This record gives sequence, structure tokens and C-alpha cells, in this order.
Amino acid sequence: MMELEKEQAVVNLVKEAFEDAEADVQRARRVRIKIAPNRVFPLVAFLKANGFNHFVTITAVDWIKDGEIELIYHLWSYTRKVHVMVKTRIPRDGGKMPTLKPLFNQAETYERDVHEFFGVYFEGNEKLDRDFILEDWDGPPPMRKDFDTRRFAAEFYGQEDIESDLLKLKIQPYKGKLMQ
Amino acid sequence: MAKERPPKGLKGWAQGRSLWILQFCTGCGAVELPPVMTSRYDMERFGITPMATPRQADLLLITGYLTVKTLKRVIRSYEQMGEPKYVIGFGSCTVNGGMYWDSYNTIKRLDLYLPVDLYIAGCMPRPEAIIEAFNRLIEGIKQGKFNGWIRYKENLRWYKRNQAMIMDIRKWSIDKKLAEEVWREVQEERRKIFEQATVPHVYEYAERISEVG
Repeated sequence: MMELEKEQAVVNLVKEAFEDAEADVQRARRVRIKIAPNRVFPLVAFLKANGFNHFVTITAVDWIKDGEIELIYHLWSYTRKVHVMVKTRIPRDGGKMPTLKPLFNQAETYERDVHEFFGVYFEGNEKLDRDFILEDWDGPPPMRKDFDTRRFAAEFYGQEDIESDLLKLKIQPYKGKLMQ
Repeated sequence: MAKERPPKGLKGWAQGRSLWILQFCTGCGAVELPPVMTSRYDMERFGITPMATPRQADLLLITGYLTVKTLKRVIRSYEQMGEPKYVIGFGSCTVNGGMYWDSYNTIKRLDLYLPVDLYIAGCMPRPEAIIEAFNRLIEGIKQGKFNGWIRYKENLRWYKRNQAMIMDIRKWSIDKKLAEEVWREVQEERRKIFEQATVPHVYEYAERISEVG
């Protein structure tokens, strides 16, 4: 296939250097690579050295039946015009990933995002435990599949049965000093 | 001390004819404001004009959905505004959550957290609807009908309790002592809700789809 030449070149490049990686062409301009979690850092470093210098984002998928969370690192090359997705799976509970901050500074922010919404722990990311998007969130990571969003929204924001809830709450007049 | 009343008569007329809006644009309703401000609808003919700081503003427009994170800043801004102050809720998001009805981080009913004087229906309301709301507000202020800030002060504990349910109000309230007290009060309830959200609950997508049909 002539039109997938540049994609196949990336696949061959990765397969040569990393024998344990599964790489294939998904469609035009898009390549997927599956690899073990501890090999992600060397692979991304290798890709960065080979023209993939735009680290786009990190996304995650919760595979609840397999008990795993899939992390997907998106990289783009302006010279090769190819989008690479590096996929890896870590255990859902207690799974850890090494941070990619030494390679790309912006990875720190994306990792904080994934940490807050999926509860993935990134080793070596110093800002991980700071509040990011969900401030004062005491609950489970909300993007995991076992988080019951509808029930939570109804209970937390008093959405359903609101009239009876209002009747239950006694309105007490404020006795202290009023704000000026 | 005599019970506080909103201004009316001449004072109310003067108040209603010089409303300054706090520019705190949240959600998508802020897009409807530029046509209201500019020559087509020209809200300045009613003496309504945007103002940059909360301390000089009379009118707070909640232009759409509010996440909890934004609500904290809105409350901080509202409490800084000088009295008398009025709140208008735009669109269905402030009434019942609108299209964010099942979201985990947007509020569903604005008047649990802030005293709303007027709601404008729509998703989003057209500039004509906004002008209509302004007219009603001006008319109501003249008659002394709107008393949101007085309700807020009289029922401060109730509002603070509702706010504490969804956010750590100790960082975001001017009255630290009350905030501390209310925050302790709601801890048990908050913990229970968060705990119930962690109950393992696997959606079987195929089954759910066949249920829906």
C-alpha cells in the first residue's frame, strides 16, 4: 500500500528497536503501539529522538472487567506527519507509572489530570497530590466506571425530590453578626 | 434594630436606573451579552453598564452552568458586592442543571447557594429575553420587590450549609467562624454520599442498551 508508507516506516522503526512492542497501522497518519508499562519511558524517549517532539496528551480508559486501566500517550511528529498512540495497561488498584516529566515538561500537567480523574499514581511527579481541577474532592476518581455519576449527582446536589428535601431542611434565621 | 427593607420609591427608582453589572461570565450565556451591550439592543439606555470589580457592582449575572470550582469564586465575588445587590440566573442550567443534569461537578439549582431574584428561561435566552428581565428588575426595584441580599443575610446559615455540602467553605467565606461550624456539621452527610459513590457498580452496557430499546 503506497499511501501508508510513512506510517509503515514508523512501525518498522519501532519494531526494530523494541522487540516486545506490538505496533500496527490503524489508518492513514495513525499508528498504535502496545507495550509494557516499564518500557513506556524508553519508547517515548526513542520516539522523541526520532522526530516525535509534540507530546499531545495522556488519556486513560477504565477496563473494569479486566481490572486494568489503559493509558494512552499521544505523540505527533511534524516532520513525519504521523500520530502515534502508545498504549499500556496497568492494574486498576495500586497501579503505578513512572512520570514522563524528564522527557516532556507538559506531561506533569496531563499526569495530574489523569491522576485526579482515574486515580492513577505517577511516580516522580511532585505536583501530583496538589488540587488541580476537582478541588476538595473527597470521593473516588469520578471517571472510573464504578463511579455512579447519576446517583452521585442526585444526592450531592439535591437534584431529585428537591421539594421534599427543602421541606426537611429547617430554615434557621442567622443570629450572629451580619456581614457588611 | 428595624428590619432591613429594600429601597423603594425615589430611592428605588434611582437604584434601578443605575445598575452596574459585575462581569463574571460563566457558561455559554456570556455570548448573549455583547449584543445586549452594543447598539442593537443597547442596555446602557437603562443605565445598565458592565463594571470590572465586585465592590462597585449591583447586579450579578450567572450566565449559564456553574461548576463547583466556579461557584466558589462566584460566592466570594457576591459577598464582596456592596448592598443593595441583585442576582439574575440565566437559562435552564441555573434552574435545574439543564443539559448538565447528571454531571458530577455542576450545581443543579442556583438558589440553594445564592439568593436569585430573577430567572430567565431558555437555553440560552435571547437578548430580547434579557432586556425583558432587565425591565422587570428595574420595575421591581422601584417597587421594592427584590430583596435577595436581605434573604441571604437572614438565612445565611441555610445558604452556608448548602454551600458546605458541595465545597470546603472554610477557604471561601468571609465569616470564618460560621464556616467552620457549618463545615463540621455537614461532614457526616458528605462522607456518606462520597462513600455510596464508591459502591462497586458495573454498568453492563449491552444489557442497558436492550433495556432502553
